[in-house]
Amino acid sequence: MEKIIEVKSLAKLFGNQRALEDVSFEVSKGEVFGFLGPSGSGKTTTIKILTAQLTQTDGDALVFGHPAAQLKHPMNRKKIGILTDNSGLYERLSIFDNLKLYCGLYDVSLSRIEEVLEMVNLKAESKKIVSKLSKGMLQRVTLARAFLHKPELLFLDEPTSSLDPVNSRHIYRGLQELKDNGTTIFLTTHDMNEAELLCDRVAFLHNGTIQLIGPPKELRKRYADNTLTVELTDGTTEVIAKGEAGAEKLYRFMSENKVVSVNTNEPTLGDIFVEITGRKLS
Amino acid sequence: MTFSLKRALAIFHKDYKDLSKNMYVSFTAVIPLFMALLYGSQGELTIEMQYIVINMTLSLVAAFIQCSLIAEEKEKNTLRGLMLSPASTVEILAGKGMLTFLTTIFIIVISCFLIDYKPESLAVIAVAIALSTVFYIGLGTFLGLITRSVMEASVVIMPFFFLFTFGSYGAMLAERFPIFKAAEYMPNTQLVELAGAVQLGAGFADIWSHLFVIIIWIAAVFVLAYRIFKKRMMD
Repeated sequence: MEKIIEVKSLAKLFGNQRALEDVSFEVSKGEVFGFLGPSGSGKTTTIKILTAQLTQTDGDALVFGHPAAQLKHPMNRKKIGILTDNSGLYERLSIFDNLKLYCGLYDVSLSRIEEVLEMVNLKAESKKIVSKLSKGMLQRVTLARAFLHKPELLFLDEPTSSLDPVNSRHIYRGLQELKDNGTTIFLTTHDMNEAELLCDRVAFLHNGTIQLIGPPKELRKRYADNTLTVELTDGTTEVIAKGEAGAEKLYRFMSENKVVSVNTNEPTLGDIFVEITGRKLS
Repeated sequence: MTFSLKRALAIFHKDYKDLSKNMYVSFTAVIPLFMALLYGSQGELTIEMQYIVINMTLSLVAAFIQCSLIAEEKEKNTLRGLMLSPASTVEILAGKGMLTFLTTIFIIVISCFLIDYKPESLAVIAVAIALSTVFYIGLGTFLGLITRSVMEASVVIMPFFFLFTFGSYGAMLAERFPIFKAAEYMPNTQLVELAGAVQLGAGFADIWSHLFVIIIWIAAVFVLAYRIFKKRMMD
């Protein structure tokens, strides 16, 4: 599989403070890669290095097989879309006029504006002035702007942080559509449900280093505590360990017709993060 | 180096729409017209007095508006969006300078009518004013890039406004205070001297040295602006 991003032993120092240390990962074409970590863990620094807004102190950051610094070239800029935590919009202009500017910059047809506004559920609001928009609406406009030009690689820094569940679902549908069309997505988020729903693989970043990396399902299995929770007809629950003794106990409950439900006790991604770092994600 | 007129025009169109809704900038652009009206009502003016109005338009409209536009882009973090787009540094600077250039020329033309300024050689003066406008746009761009907000920009530009509007008078003191000799080489002084020569019948062949000095100022200010812009592209 073609590698879109290759990061090897990446390090970044701000003065004496180490923001990233020995960070290595790869992102394949068409993959949704989640970068998870609390504030200050180095997620945004990584995105800035990968989008040529910062230079690394050490290590390699390759995007489309070339050093990230080469993304400054206009042809390469067309291949990427970026949503950062502080993507400015022109407050005195309408949503349409803001996106029209970017149609001109990316050489995109104006008809694309309607498509992206549909994706973020803002089609009816296109004439609204940006200064009158809610925080959630602003977030959706910046998202629309990020994928206006159908980028091959999309960097999303907390894309749904200001959105309600209904609008988040619109975004997820849009991102799924982009993914189905082969767009590679590099996503940072605090939202574990979002990561589980969208990401093919996730990496846990803590104190500037990657603690764990892999597909969410695999990580949950790896950290599962090997027990089952059995809900019984008398309203109580029993936690039973997998194995011969547990199987006998479960068999007994079932033969006595006492079982209402049986659930595996897989941890959430949030639980795993707490387990390996000792702190919560948000 | 690539240059896409389409991208530069996209920035120009955006600025045009944005500027028409920006009361602060619109008000600033009108001030030189009031000055021209006031000076124009005083009867016949010397070339030095006429060029106070023109130099004021250059520093207040070309430099100050450009400085405010760039500073606002920085303050609202919209400049970052442009920097991360396919637009090159030259396209962004050209796109952002186009509207200021046209606005400045428009206001200078109206001011010239109001102060009844009729140059003996329109071609020479047109070239000199166009070059001066480019210099002041470069100055505004540079100052806008080194400031963090519109408020800060409006303070930082003030010394430059006085220097480039009234600084040509400094050259008159050069005999008593040699330090003022430097004022002779300022772009505004060069423009006034050039205009004076033109009124006495000078053509391109006679005033090329003045244009050359202005071009050196343009080159210097744009090299500075370009370098600062490149620095701002990185966090």
